[in-house]
Amino acid sequence: MMALVSEAWRLQPIVSLILAEHLTKTFDAAGHDGSPVTAVRDVDLAIDAGEFVAITGASGSGKSTILHMLGGITRPTSGRVMLEGVDLAKLDDDALALVRRRRIGFIFQRYNLLPELSLLENVALPLVFDGVKESACHKAAMEAIESVGLAPRASHRPDALSGGEQQRGAIARALVTRPAVVLADEPTGALDTVNSRHVIELLSCLVKDRGQTVVLVTHDQTTAAAAGRLIRVVDGRIASDTLVGDADDHSVVSSARTAVR
Amino acid sequence: MNRLSLLLRQWRNRPGRAIATAASVAVAVGAVVATWLSADASREGYRRLAESIEGVPSIDITPRETGRWDGSGVPKLIDIPGVRAVVPLVYKPALLRSDERRIREVAVGVDAGGLVDAGFLKLVEGRACEEPDEIVVSRTLADSLDKSLDDTLLFLSRRGGYRTMKITGIADTQSLSALSDGGGVVVDIEALGELTGVRGLIDRFRLVLRPEASRQAVLAAVNERLPEKLHAIVPAGRASMAHDMLNAANLGLDFVTALTVAMAWFIVGNAMLMNVTERRRAFALQRVLGATTRQISRMLFWEAAAIGAVGAGFGAVGGILAAGPIAKGIARAIRAPDFAIAYNPWIVVAAVLIGPAVAVLAAWWPTRQAAKVDLLESLAHMAPPPENISWKLVTTAAVLWSLAVGILVAVVTGVLPPRSAVPAGIATTLAFIATTPVVLPLLARLLAGFVPSKWRIEGALALEQILRQPVRTALTTGVLVVAVSNGVGLGHAIRDNVDDVLAWYAKALKADWMLLQAGALGVSRETSPSAGSGIVEEVSAIEGVETVQPISIAIGSAGGVACVIVARDMPPNEQLPLEAVGMSDDELRTIVDEGGLVAGTALAQRLKVKAGDEVTVSAFGRTIRANVAALVVDYTAGGTSLFMSREAARRIFGIDSVDALLIESSPAAAAGLREPLEAVAKRHGLLLQSHADLHATIDRIINGIVGALWSILGLGFIVGSLGVANTVTMNVLEKRRTLGLLRAVGMTARQVTRLVVIESLLLGLSGCIIGILGGIASAWFIQLSSQPLLGHPVSMSFRPEVILSNLAAAIAITAIAAWLPARRAVRLDLLDSIAAE
Repeated sequence: MMALVSEAWRLQPIVSLILAEHLTKTFDAAGHDGSPVTAVRDVDLAIDAGEFVAITGASGSGKSTILHMLGGITRPTSGRVMLEGVDLAKLDDDALALVRRRRIGFIFQRYNLLPELSLLENVALPLVFDGVKESACHKAAMEAIESVGLAPRASHRPDALSGGEQQRGAIARALVTRPAVVLADEPTGALDTVNSRHVIELLSCLVKDRGQTVVLVTHDQTTAAAAGRLIRVVDGRIASDTLVGDADDHSVVSSARTAVR
Repeated sequence: MNRLSLLLRQWRNRPGRAIATAASVAVAVGAVVATWLSADASREGYRRLAESIEGVPSIDITPRETGRWDGSGVPKLIDIPGVRAVVPLVYKPALLRSDERRIREVAVGVDAGGLVDAGFLKLVEGRACEEPDEIVVSRTLADSLDKSLDDTLLFLSRRGGYRTMKITGIADTQSLSALSDGGGVVVDIEALGELTGVRGLIDRFRLVLRPEASRQAVLAAVNERLPEKLHAIVPAGRASMAHDMLNAANLGLDFVTALTVAMAWFIVGNAMLMNVTERRRAFALQRVLGATTRQISRMLFWEAAAIGAVGAGFGAVGGILAAGPIAKGIARAIRAPDFAIAYNPWIVVAAVLIGPAVAVLAAWWPTRQAAKVDLLESLAHMAPPPENISWKLVTTAAVLWSLAVGILVAVVTGVLPPRSAVPAGIATTLAFIATTPVVLPLLARLLAGFVPSKWRIEGALALEQILRQPVRTALTTGVLVVAVSNGVGLGHAIRDNVDDVLAWYAKALKADWMLLQAGALGVSRETSPSAGSGIVEEVSAIEGVETVQPISIAIGSAGGVACVIVARDMPPNEQLPLEAVGMSDDELRTIVDEGGLVAGTALAQRLKVKAGDEVTVSAFGRTIRANVAALVVDYTAGGTSLFMSREAARRIFGIDSVDALLIESSPAAAAGLREPLEAVAKRHGLLLQSHADLHATIDRIINGIVGALWSILGLGFIVGSLGVANTVTMNVLEKRRTLGLLRAVGMTARQVTRLVVIESLLLGLSGCIIGILGGIASAWFIQLSSQPLLGHPVSMSFRPEVILSNLAAAIAITAIAAWLPARRAVRLDLLDSIAAE
């Protein structure tokens, strides 16, 4: 399976970085009466390299579930996700872990730094799992930390960092493997306004300066405004898909994506 | 940083969790090491006890069908490992004269010099007999006849004349008794043949074994070499009893050891499961960041191995320290000589090696669970989803029940040996634990109904915690289930067996005073008619004596199995001293009066005969074929006994000795009889025992058994309580977020304490109730399994005192076990708990 992943990455070029087709996700017995709940219904989505996409929607609309399926954290009940041409549904758990480790960077609302590790060690963690030598891990992690402006705090544990610092640390961790895409789930949800602005600026810079693809989920319109493309999710379906500054609606973007597949 | 240092960081961050897990391993390993060492020491103690009863270990070679034979057909056996000497033996009742006294005594014909050299026959004075006119006598006989070295005795020969025999040696009574099954004099084998007309014939070859030899192995090796007409058997009497006692003790010790291992397994497995479950989120995060399931598994296995090694090291040391007092307690209980624990340093090494292996194995299932953890569920700060009872668990329980019942049926029907009951017992215990998740919800709900209404919130929350994870709760209670079922099962089984023996004693040995040949009661099968029949008249003449009942005891064989032949009459209008199986007392009395042969149930079981079947019985060179007229419950020589009237014994085998006298007196005269009876005992070299002495002896034995039982129970409960305390502590650690939230929304410290204590008590009581049911099943199991050994069913009584004491101990233990975790729960920092990663 690992070979399949490597092979697929060699078989470039691929037009869409992420391509989701007919994504549906149903959670068993998640309803109040124990009935199944369908969180995402038949979603088609294509994201190109270098895009900054914001998925918005009300709480419970299914936006985070879409993000989790794009990142291979959960598998769709039906439909498929192609990342750089690789169908994630065809990968077993370990191959999927390899994809998450090397090709995807995650940022969470609650930072999710391991409390027993220093910031430097937290950032280095994906490289540790990749078996990278300690010195190389250290160097790459420091570079990532420096890029988010936290070099002086590298040896601190998460509980000694502010919320904003922890989130920047989480961004550094997401970047350390130079992933194809950064997926951020409500990255400013736990931050104050100033820190929220810093985090969004950081993500914008990544896109502009490095060409990094970023997909973020947020219910905050100010945060979403920083993105170049806005996808609004309502009741598990894409209600609109808009390029910021354009009057085009969802169908316009969708048809454009379909055309280049 | 590498993955190992990530592990170390996790330990350092949560030392309590690592310590609690290591402590679980330490408790488990400690319990196993302590039980193992004390069981080993007990085995050694029982072996020495058996040796002291038996003397030197030996086995006999006899013909399968006939009695005395010419000794032909015996191949070379001395080269079999463990065999020290091969000695031909012949026994003949003899009449001796000393001055004006005529004494009946069993004479043993052997190569005495060789036996003395081999250390099998111990002389306290003089030398072995070598010439045809030389004789060795026992110390008891010499004292009773007032004879010393170089004195003479007259030996009545077959031709009617007396031969003057010079006493060349005085033998240690016990040593001679062990050699000759109670004989009192030793004569050269050739000379005895010439004197008694059995020249060229022998009764048996006795193989003297080395102390370290395995009797079973030698028996098997010898039987393999023997021709069809001969076989090797464990000698009757002392050796047979010692052999049976050793087997029974080993069975019990195997069972206890296996139960401790099972309990240890649950403790370690549960600790590992909780350790891993608590870190579901961390593992989920690591998997989101790219750790593979294999990496997580490997990391956890390393952790288990490391924690296992640390825990096992401490546990081994603790176990060794604990084994000493436990072994001493058991030694006192069984009154074994030179009982000492063997501190084998390899046990520590083995424990330190096996500990990690067990921890890794115990971590296998939790690790699989951790690797499969739902990433979304864990990242969303959700509690683990409720467990469902899987078909796998139900299948496992069904398989275990089938296995246990299958083995039990095989043991009861004799397809498998009684020792197979050990795995069956373990399978039953495991089956109960596997069934626990199914019955636990009902039981916990039922018990929660007893929580006072003013604590209903705490009760409801505690119940919810338990019901949410029935499988894990079953593992938690598993430790207690094993401890309680062990206690209730063994408690019932031992008390029932003791009562059965007591009932037998009360019936068979009903007397105010007893005069016996030297030796413990129940082992008094020495065929030493030194007292002669005149002693009955002598004792009857003492004022205050109302009845005197003589009993003759001889060694023989039935159907090739060594047995004890007990000859006693059944006086009319008196309670029957035997308990008939399947017939009335009157019918049994008639059978004995008419000279019928009555077999003990254990002997009948071994011979696979029932009332009406024919058997071959041999004693003193005479062999008959007779029908077993009836079966009786009996414990003489482990139940391998044959009963007949004294008249029949005299007529058939020439047994007319008096080996024991049961004396009843008027109540007023009972105390005053000691002095005249002691004088009789001294004159005849007998042992005087009063009813009070007898009861004191029995009480001591029972107290010893009960003491040993309580030691085992105590150990089980200590291990169980440590397991429960540890589990509840880990429960609190795992639920710190829930507890923090509860406190944040207004739950007081006292309510949190009550919640933890109620949860612990619900766990403890559920475990205890299941354990009690398991214990009653185990007791029934043990009774059924022992039926093939005893030959008769021991009636099982319901003993509320055993059940209530176990219940009380379980409640006390779980309440105490909850105290520390409750304190910990109260002291949790609210912010830390809510933000718990």
